[in-house]
Amino acid sequence: MFKNLGSSRNFLGLMFMLPAAAFLLLFLVYPLGLGIWLSFTDAKIGTPGQFVGLDNYEWIVGDSKFQTAVFFTIFYTVVASAIKFAIGLYLALLLNKHLPFKAIVRAVVLIPFIVPTVLSAIAFWWIFDPQFSIVSWTLRQMGLIDGNINFLGDAWNSRYSVIFANVWRGVPFIAISLLAGLQTVPPSLYEAAVLDGATPWQMFIKITYPLLTPIIAVVMTFSVLFTFTDFQLIKVLTNGGPAGATELMATMSYNTAILGGRIGEGSAISTAMVPFLLAAIMVSWFGLQRRKWQAGGTDD
Amino acid sequence: MSERNFTRRGVLEAGAAIAGASVANLSLFASAWAQASPFKPEAGAKISLLRWKRFVQSEEDSFMALVAAFQKATNVEVKVINESLDDVQPKASVAANTNQGPDMFWGLYSLPHLFPAKCVEVTDVANHLGKKYGGWVPSAEVYGKSGGKWIAIPVAYNGNVINYRQSMIEKAGFKEIPKDTAGFLELMKALKGKSVPGGFALGRASGDGNAWVHWVLWSQGGNLVDKDDKVILNSPETVKALEYAKELSDTFVSGTASWNDAFNNKAFLESQVSLTNNGVSIYAAAKAGAAKGDAKAKEVMDDMNHSLWPIGPVGKPTEFHIAYPLMAMKYSKVPNACKAFMAFMLEAENYNKWLVDSVAYLTHPLNAYDANPVWSTDPKLSMLRDAGKRTLTAGGLGSVGEKAASALADFIVLDMLASVCTGRASIKDAIAVAERQAKRIYR
Amino acid sequence: MTDTRVAAAAAPSDMSEGMSYLSTLPQRVVRVYMPLVMIVIVLLFPFYWMVITAVKPKEHLLDLDKHNPYWTWSPTLEHINDLLFKTDYPLWLWNTMFIAVSATVLSLVASVFAAYAITRIRYRGAQWVGGAIFLSYLVPPSILFIPLSTVVYQYGLFDTPFALILTYPTILIPFSTWLLMGYFKTIPYELEECALIDGASRWQILTKIILPLAVPGLISASIFCLTLCWNEFIYALTFINSTENKTVPVAILSAFTDGDQYRWGSLMAGALVGSLPLVVLYAFFVEHYVSAMTGAVKE
Repeated sequence: MFKNLGSSRNFLGLMFMLPAAAFLLLFLVYPLGLGIWLSFTDAKIGTPGQFVGLDNYEWIVGDSKFQTAVFFTIFYTVVASAIKFAIGLYLALLLNKHLPFKAIVRAVVLIPFIVPTVLSAIAFWWIFDPQFSIVSWTLRQMGLIDGNINFLGDAWNSRYSVIFANVWRGVPFIAISLLAGLQTVPPSLYEAAVLDGATPWQMFIKITYPLLTPIIAVVMTFSVLFTFTDFQLIKVLTNGGPAGATELMATMSYNTAILGGRIGEGSAISTAMVPFLLAAIMVSWFGLQRRKWQAGGTDD
Repeated sequence: MSERNFTRRGVLEAGAAIAGASVANLSLFASAWAQASPFKPEAGAKISLLRWKRFVQSEEDSFMALVAAFQKATNVEVKVINESLDDVQPKASVAANTNQGPDMFWGLYSLPHLFPAKCVEVTDVANHLGKKYGGWVPSAEVYGKSGGKWIAIPVAYNGNVINYRQSMIEKAGFKEIPKDTAGFLELMKALKGKSVPGGFALGRASGDGNAWVHWVLWSQGGNLVDKDDKVILNSPETVKALEYAKELSDTFVSGTASWNDAFNNKAFLESQVSLTNNGVSIYAAAKAGAAKGDAKAKEVMDDMNHSLWPIGPVGKPTEFHIAYPLMAMKYSKVPNACKAFMAFMLEAENYNKWLVDSVAYLTHPLNAYDANPVWSTDPKLSMLRDAGKRTLTAGGLGSVGEKAASALADFIVLDMLASVCTGRASIKDAIAVAERQAKRIYR
Repeated sequence: MTDTRVAAAAAPSDMSEGMSYLSTLPQRVVRVYMPLVMIVIVLLFPFYWMVITAVKPKEHLLDLDKHNPYWTWSPTLEHINDLLFKTDYPLWLWNTMFIAVSATVLSLVASVFAAYAITRIRYRGAQWVGGAIFLSYLVPPSILFIPLSTVVYQYGLFDTPFALILTYPTILIPFSTWLLMGYFKTIPYELEECALIDGASRWQILTKIILPLAVPGLISASIFCLTLCWNEFIYALTFINSTENKTVPVAILSAFTDGDQYRWGSLMAGALVGSLPLVVLYAFFVEHYVSAMTGAVKE
């Protein structure tokens, strides 16, 4: 019976993989190839395109709106991820301490992550209103400012505002994941360190952080990935405005392809995102490798 | 001439009678019309019509009454789908591409010209209506015709005018809106000086934003393209227009760079801004609020007024009003029913009432409707009568077609102005970017 | 002291008690409680704002000086009423639930098979396949939506719920496969070995041994998948055209604008009611959420 297991195992494995493979091939791999093909054509909504080589890419590379979008996508990703990491880690450390009602606090903290992004973006839109913002009103009442804060109408203000909204949304995920990691650190390590006279900061640097690194790598990879390819938040809050200051590559690709009708150009913009994502994945993949080695296991 | 006078009088009488007409009257007319109309729907037809979502509630109510009358008279079922203004073009494009979807699209500007081959030819309807009602205004023919044939019926325009608060401009030392652009700039500076600033949208507001930026550009002599569709944006006139816009925007209330079409309504109704541009939807909202007893709304309604746009150095009006063409798609199984509906919409008994109910939100494309009572009942609304005649067309000097539609959809002119006004780009750079984009679209 | 240490050691999930005797109460208030409270307030404020705006009468919404914006003494249900009875909200809710549940079921089935194949059957190249699934995160929806819309037209699915039901699994399968791989690995192989020796087929092993033991994992995966479906926007925006087929996030955004007037009260009511199903689900299954997130991350 076992001697047939070899070939039948492969066959069986294949069969079991079939459903997942079917979905991914039909709706992921094929469209990916199609998207890359489309980026080399001048397809528009309503007309199939003809091959135009690198024309779309030449165009977007020289287009200052695209350059701004690339800049801001990177800026947005780096800044938002860094802030999310810092605050998320801090929050995880806080939650790791002995607290009353810990379970409830932890549950409450996750809520921004649960609520659909579009819906909380609508709430932020109202909070950031140029004339009727609650934040502006409160600050005015407190006498701290005179007029209304132009949250979404000034280029840099709008950038910081959307980063704030993104951080608000992303911190819970990072915090809770890191919290789980923190909870795997044996307390005996800390106790030993205290007996040796270590300060809290030293304990953090020498014990907590190194043991947390593998989880940090994974969590931050996801976070970077989702932030770079963000679409909903910007679409609702600013739609790329003012004057393209908060345009991301994803929103620009949508506006170009679906609203402007230029499918080929939009596909070029989407495809241009892939190299950046590849870079992010490479970084995290090596991070994972390191983890297995660090934990003493072998790569399996 | 005499035919025109007769038609006008007839329209005036019908109009007077219509003020307060009920659905019953409408259906009486409708049945009679159905008998006499040269456009007979197919038997058992069902039409689906996609239109831009209403800006004025009474306009939509009146429109739905019209639809109901048509249904009863012709036994044609009409389903009306409402989509936000900016969504109409993408959905029409998708339908044209996939050859399925609503039978009729009622969209903006040059929508039919994006796919002229997919539109049902409606020359017979246009000629019938033109003959009966005093002829089409020139811009209607430009919007409706492609290659000598009518591919859509420009059912109405939306006049976009200056909305202002009388008390606030008086505070700034002006009795009325200056008729020239230089004087207008002085007014805006004075308003800001007295802490009652005005504001125009610098965000991607496809209605209000496009209206004012094209007015600025054209009034100073700048143009995106010439009559041969060659890009002529890089010119001293454009520079002058951008300088003017920058000076103007320095007087705006803060936050206009994030304004879409709704924000100036909100701000104006809350007295946060003294002057802006809009259709009459602000006035209509104020009236509706006042009727419900809202004192604030009444104050706004009494104090506000409308004005035509000032004239720039070019010496003639350079306004840009929204045109709303109605087209039928060739994949529709009931093209004759669609044509019948188009004709029905613009018949006096229906159109007059609809114009009155939309409180001047809509302006007519046929000359006979100059006599409609809505233009004479409220002096605050009368200047919207000529919107169709005064407007320049999408694409400016150039063609009304796919390229003009693309340029509008990409907000080329609006973004150019916005980047200069928000200080993100110098005038030279902004023009260079816009010119490059325009050249790509118009190549 | 020994007792507290023993107690702490006996509760492995909460090791925080261990050294808290070292810090005094004032210290804790400043260092721990206050920052925590501030962060929680910031995290919750937008929802509070959503709720308040949704029940404020329309006239009070924009007049911040006259009516205290932080509270309302005359709450009204008119916005919620408008939402539930004057729009197609129930229809959109049904659409969204139907699509989310169907997509989740499809994804789970595919993931269970795939996860089992990778962790247990260990066919040739299984490791690579596991890695390849991870790679599919490289092509998120905001990259794929343009060509996928063309594919959706080609297959005749445009503007139908199936456009979403069949495309969402591409987002869900990688994640749930990963998660389930983690769960399956914790099931002792000896159980299967015995069953194999007894002549059970793979199918029987899967259904009678693995699945019942992996129920927590399945629940976590399905809840997370449901949440991801609700949260999805760009595919729903691009592939669905007519109002009656829309999902809640897309519909709320376009339903409450009268051309150029936004009805903020209704918008907020829509945002609030649109979030409720997920929040309710979450409230019942908090632990599963957390273990889903941490389980995937630890993998």
